[in-house]
Amino acid sequence: MRKTDIIDVIARKLSPYILLFGFYLVAFGHRTPGGGFQGGVVMASGIILLALGRDPTVAMTAFPPAKLSIAEAASYILLLALGVAGVAVGGYFLENVLPPGFAVPRVGFVFALNIVIGIKVGAGVSLIALHLFREESG
Amino acid sequence: MRRVVRVMVDAAALLAIAVFLVLSVVPEIATPVADATGSETPRALDSIRVHILERGTEETGAFNLVTAIYLGYRAYDTLGETIVLLLAVSGIVYLVGAKR
Amino acid sequence: MSEYLIGLIFLVGLWGVLSKPNIIKKIVGLSIMNGAIVMFFVHHGARFGSTAPIREGAETGAAAAAVMVDPLPQALMLTAIVVGICIIALGLALAVLLYRRYGTLDIRSIEAEAWSTRD
Repeated sequence: MRKTDIIDVIARKLSPYILLFGFYLVAFGHRTPGGGFQGGVVMASGIILLALGRDPTVAMTAFPPAKLSIAEAASYILLLALGVAGVAVGGYFLENVLPPGFAVPRVGFVFALNIVIGIKVGAGVSLIALHLFREESG
Repeated sequence: MRRVVRVMVDAAALLAIAVFLVLSVVPEIATPVADATGSETPRALDSIRVHILERGTEETGAFNLVTAIYLGYRAYDTLGETIVLLLAVSGIVYLVGAKR
Repeated sequence: MSEYLIGLIFLVGLWGVLSKPNIIKKIVGLSIMNGAIVMFFVHHGARFGSTAPIREGAETGAAAAAVMVDPLPQALMLTAIVVGICIIALGLALAVLLYRRYGTLDIRSIEAEAWSTRD
């Protein structure tokens, strides 16, 4: 497939900012519109833009699928560990482990869940897209 | 055999459209809301909404109340949803990710 | 009125799934149906107020709650969007497999070949 220089340059310059914006959505998901899933999908769209605008092999050398799989599995285990931490503290599964209060200490659990889910969803959606792209590029 | 399958698919499509039309013409059997356009709502739904809007931040810690439901009240649901995503990813890796 | 329009969008997706022979267009129809359902729920929850359901500070929530939209359908639809993405991705992967096996995306040719080589 023939690509012009415009698409190449724009994809290369824009995808780091899309990744940064996705991380902003994840990190401020408790305060502003956003959250783990939305920010993760935006991060994955940055990787997909890199794969579509340059080449799927470029995206796969920058974000190797093996390491994305490890990131997804590790964040899933971390999510389960956060859930079990609620049981250990004395509540229920996925109970907020931080002491009650209006927002400031207690929001940390939601923040941690957002980060973990953001990494997991970003890795998962970009894995799906990279596997489908690899099929197309042979 | 194929004609039977096609007739059944067409009948299912017509039945779905008919059910949708009936439900949209007679909204009383589609939703418990008393009036589809007015502000009259059942007491239970309204109290759940008011409870979440007034005490959601205190109970879960998140300012964003959608996040408060998503990661506070319904965190099990989020866990199941991440399991669904994990299964979809592993299914796709199994289907198209194998070396030819 | 807008409920009927959203239902019309859903029916467009249903028509695409049922009567388009191309598998990719069927999957696009599934996506349209998913979007129509998400729109219906968010629209239904937005009857109550006008502002986003985000608390600003430690003020008592009663006055602010009166003008906020209902956050519960939005949170439910977040889950529905994720499941929709998973369904569409799996459908695309199955379309890739069908294309590799039969060399076409037309469901009629695939059906004819599958029925002829059934035994």
